[in-house]
Amino acid sequence: MTRQEIFDKLKEIMVEADDRNREIVENSTEDTDLMKDFGFSSVNMLYIVIMIEESFGIRFEDLGVRDLRKVGDVISYIAEELEK
Amino acid sequence: MSMTRDAFRPYTDAETFDRIVEYDSVTEMWAKCLAEFADRPAIEDDGKTYTFARLEQDAASVRAALSGLGLQKGDRVGLLAPNSYDFVKSYLGIVTAGFVCVALPPHLDEMTVFGCTMKYALKAVLVHPALEEKTAFAKTHGSRSVFLSTTLPEASCPMAEGLKAEDPCVMLFTGGTTGKSKGALLSHGNVLQGTVNGCYGYKEVFGQRYMLVLPLTHVFGLVRNLMTSLYTGSDLFIVRNNKDMFRDAAMFRPTIMVMVPALAEMCLQLGKKFGRNMLGESMKTIIAGAAVVPPYLVNEYDKLGVLLLPGYGLTESANLVSGNPESLKKPESVGLPFPNQELKVVNGELLLRGKNMMIGYVGEEEASYDEDGWFHTGDLVRFDEEGFLYITGRTKEIIVLPTGENISPAEMETRFNELVCVQDTQVFEDLNERGEHILALEALPRMTELQGVEDVRAYVTAELQKVNESFPLFMRVSRIEIRDQDFERTPSMKIKRYHRV
Repeated sequence: MTRQEIFDKLKEIMVEADDRNREIVENSTEDTDLMKDFGFSSVNMLYIVIMIEESFGIRFEDLGVRDLRKVGDVISYIAEELEK
Repeated sequence: MSMTRDAFRPYTDAETFDRIVEYDSVTEMWAKCLAEFADRPAIEDDGKTYTFARLEQDAASVRAALSGLGLQKGDRVGLLAPNSYDFVKSYLGIVTAGFVCVALPPHLDEMTVFGCTMKYALKAVLVHPALEEKTAFAKTHGSRSVFLSTTLPEASCPMAEGLKAEDPCVMLFTGGTTGKSKGALLSHGNVLQGTVNGCYGYKEVFGQRYMLVLPLTHVFGLVRNLMTSLYTGSDLFIVRNNKDMFRDAAMFRPTIMVMVPALAEMCLQLGKKFGRNMLGESMKTIIAGAAVVPPYLVNEYDKLGVLLLPGYGLTESANLVSGNPESLKKPESVGLPFPNQELKVVNGELLLRGKNMMIGYVGEEEASYDEDGWFHTGDLVRFDEEGFLYITGRTKEIIVLPTGENISPAEMETRFNELVCVQDTQVFEDLNERGEHILALEALPRMTELQGVEDVRAYVTAELQKVNESFPLFMRVSRIEIRDQDFERTPSMKIKRYHRV
């Protein structure tokens, strides 16, 4: 998967998590801050984590979501896990 | 008005209903549990299963360690631990020794942990190794508490004798519905009434498989999940990381869960996506509380063969005040009041009194009860002709989000008003163009402080946005408007609050 393909899938998941963020998600870049720039609730974040694990077949192990600050960090993490 | 337990009799078979009996203290209940369920699994955590008997052995080690410090009955002991078996054995050890457990939420920062040791005069604090660093500041800044690890050597020590219903048992922090989190002190009688209330209104009560996702420092986690699970001889699985809850559910096959409506909704959403009931086919009952339950959730879960029971409760009432066993017929109701409490409606506000109501707040100037002993909930309610309760609003300005998180507009406004360029602000709930609930902010600029600023609107908005970003994510406003004119005000010059939703 290319970075762009991962990003597109990630955007799809983030819109599903809370449709109210559609505009922000669609205009987001790899530099968008996950915690600051989106209006996600704790349950939205849980949905996103579960969906990333299920959709990409990876696991977030020993890694709090807090360590992944920007959208680009998440894409890099997914890309690395997919290569394993 | 008040209800007797017979109101709940039709919803449980006679034999089960007769097993629901009341006790005065955790020690009395725990002794009965040990007599009846000793070899049954009580807790499953981190791949291990602990029986009731094992849990008692480990609680005894906690009692021995604390008694060795020379603590007296009623002394307060802090507990700083994430959801884990160690939390359970420590809590049980503290309260069955006759000490008071002050349940410190694991997300507290080290300054607050220090503050709690001082404010609540904690004689000792049991600390889980994973949270050890949170005690560093307290240890070096003169806290008089003794800090002990929850990992303790095996030792024996009997339970305290003669604990009465009015003896203090546990202190929990409120969700802050009045703007600030307070410590609510619950007695043994309160905790036991809350525990028993958790048994009413559904069929399969004893020997269940509970799956815990709520914090044990929260009343629903501690009383409705843990205590009712122990009381009913059930097996409680502790979910270590909520992201793994569906893998855990597939393995553990829970029959009952307590959750906030937003989580119940998310489970449905994922279930539709993956074409299966994410909580597993064994799931029979979901207790949903801490926020308004959208009626469609009840019907959607019914299609999956799951009974979703909306309830209403407070930290101050030691668990649910009411539960709705007729959720399919009356999905908008929070149900029938549980026994041993009195409910009164004054000017629309619900007032409570009864065996389940807390001893009081600790270390607060605000009175816990009025002169006649009534607790003012701040919730506006009505009853229907069959005695079912409905929540219709709040007297205090609080916005409750679908995740159960409480927003105090006044608290947020105080922070916005600290900006010198702002004269006054109002935070309120509004609908966006798609009809969805959002938090919005209107601000009146202080023009005297803005002389020479070219674009006042842009400048003030940017300043407000900075403050907005200092709030936790769920609290942030998603729309900021700058006013040209003052707000409409009441005769006492307070801003007339908007109620658009």
